[in-house]
Amino acid sequence: MELENIQADTVLDTRGLTCPMPLLKTKKALKGMNPGQILEVLGNDPGSKKDIPDFANKKGNEFIGMVDSPEGHTRYFIKKG
Amino acid sequence: MKEQLRNFYHAVFDNEWPTWLAGILIAVVALMIFLWQSPWNIAVGYANWGDWFYYFTGMYDKRPMVPWLHPVGLSNAGIIVGAFVSALMARQFKIRRAPKLEYAKGLVGGLLMGAGAAFSKGCNVGGFFTAVAMLSAGGFAMMFGLGIGAWIGLRYLLWEMEHLPSQTAYSQSKTGDETTGFDWRTIQPWVGTVVTVGVIAAFYGYSFVDKTQIGGWLFFGFLIGLIMHRARFCFVRAFRCPLMTGDAGTVKAVTISLIIYIAGVSVTKWAYLQEPAMGTYHPFFLGSFIGGVIFGIGMLLAGGCASSTLWRVGEGQTKLMVTLVMFALSNSQISSFLRTSGLGEKLGHGIFLPNALTWQVTIPLILFFFVGWLLLAVWNEETEKFVIF
Repeated sequence: MELENIQADTVLDTRGLTCPMPLLKTKKALKGMNPGQILEVLGNDPGSKKDIPDFANKKGNEFIGMVDSPEGHTRYFIKKG
Repeated sequence: MKEQLRNFYHAVFDNEWPTWLAGILIAVVALMIFLWQSPWNIAVGYANWGDWFYYFTGMYDKRPMVPWLHPVGLSNAGIIVGAFVSALMARQFKIRRAPKLEYAKGLVGGLLMGAGAAFSKGCNVGGFFTAVAMLSAGGFAMMFGLGIGAWIGLRYLLWEMEHLPSQTAYSQSKTGDETTGFDWRTIQPWVGTVVTVGVIAAFYGYSFVDKTQIGGWLFFGFLIGLIMHRARFCFVRAFRCPLMTGDAGTVKAVTISLIIYIAGVSVTKWAYLQEPAMGTYHPFFLGSFIGGVIFGIGMLLAGGCASSTLWRVGEGQTKLMVTLVMFALSNSQISSFLRTSGLGEKLGHGIFLPNALTWQVTIPLILFFFVGWLLLAVWNEETEKFVIF
């Protein structure tokens, strides 16, 4: 699956926020979603590149992947389990 | 050969190091600092910078020690430079802005951390990490305080997330790397190399004017900054993550680090290679405990403790620059207040555990304590009993 073409059900913008806010907001957003839905997180904290995949692979969710956008932030895709 | 070098560079400077590896390396460098001169800490270096501000504005009469001869201030500068180099090597350095609310949190967090570190006579490094390793009872009191403070701070962050409007739609840096004609990221590793040579030259310079011992602090700080940034090692996580996601990774890393640090210090002190009671001035119980609580709240708001504020400044985070300034100003002022008012003395006094309990009891007791903390964190990772969100 091409990451760029994924249509997320929810998009969470954490750009400009630093540890731990992106992770807290990701956790909160996932809580409000239904299994199978896809969350896209936008972020530019370098720490998120490890934190979000690590977190998203736990608790039954699935980390689909991440891709750097040309605007300088990273897009993370998580499937709610 | 070229391929090998490229892989090596990638492994060392592009890939993030595992947290436990950083924990081990930090313990080793901290031990070297202890053997070199005296225990590693951070807050008094901040206080020195704050003292200068008050001296220049006429509030303090006494001229503080010049920053380039202040060992701790110099090692703090080394941490910033080390992280700066690490960020450059990974082509990650960038002036990073944040929404307004984050600056406010950075400001208040810095004030609280400066105040907390004044009460406990040390930050998360000098008052907890190094204090514990020096076998000072106050280190443990601060550790409990930090845990409570982290819980309160996290409660606030959760409240903020529910009640304050999210501020993320700030104007993204439109002047991004790709819109300017020249991509300066390609030369970042070269700049990093030049700065590294500069740090080594500075150490040689100190040595040349017979200040080798002081110059050493700059170099050790540089190593710590590099290590911490490569692994994004952050003491805050050891207290926050068990409550937030349940993740025990940093608790494991800090435990490994402390056990090595304690072992090294014990050998050094028990064998009288350094004065046994060195670095055990922390005000047990109240001062260290209260300081820990205040510091713990502050580090959650700022998103960085004393050490991770320094390395985050080095990678260009403007929010943490605000934190650094406020930390320095409040620590200098409140330390001076506690000293002159006599209140500081009422908050407890330093206890060197082997003096109170003997070496034979202290060492196994501390080992049990940290193994207990580790097991609790691992159990919590599975059960999420302490996770409040």
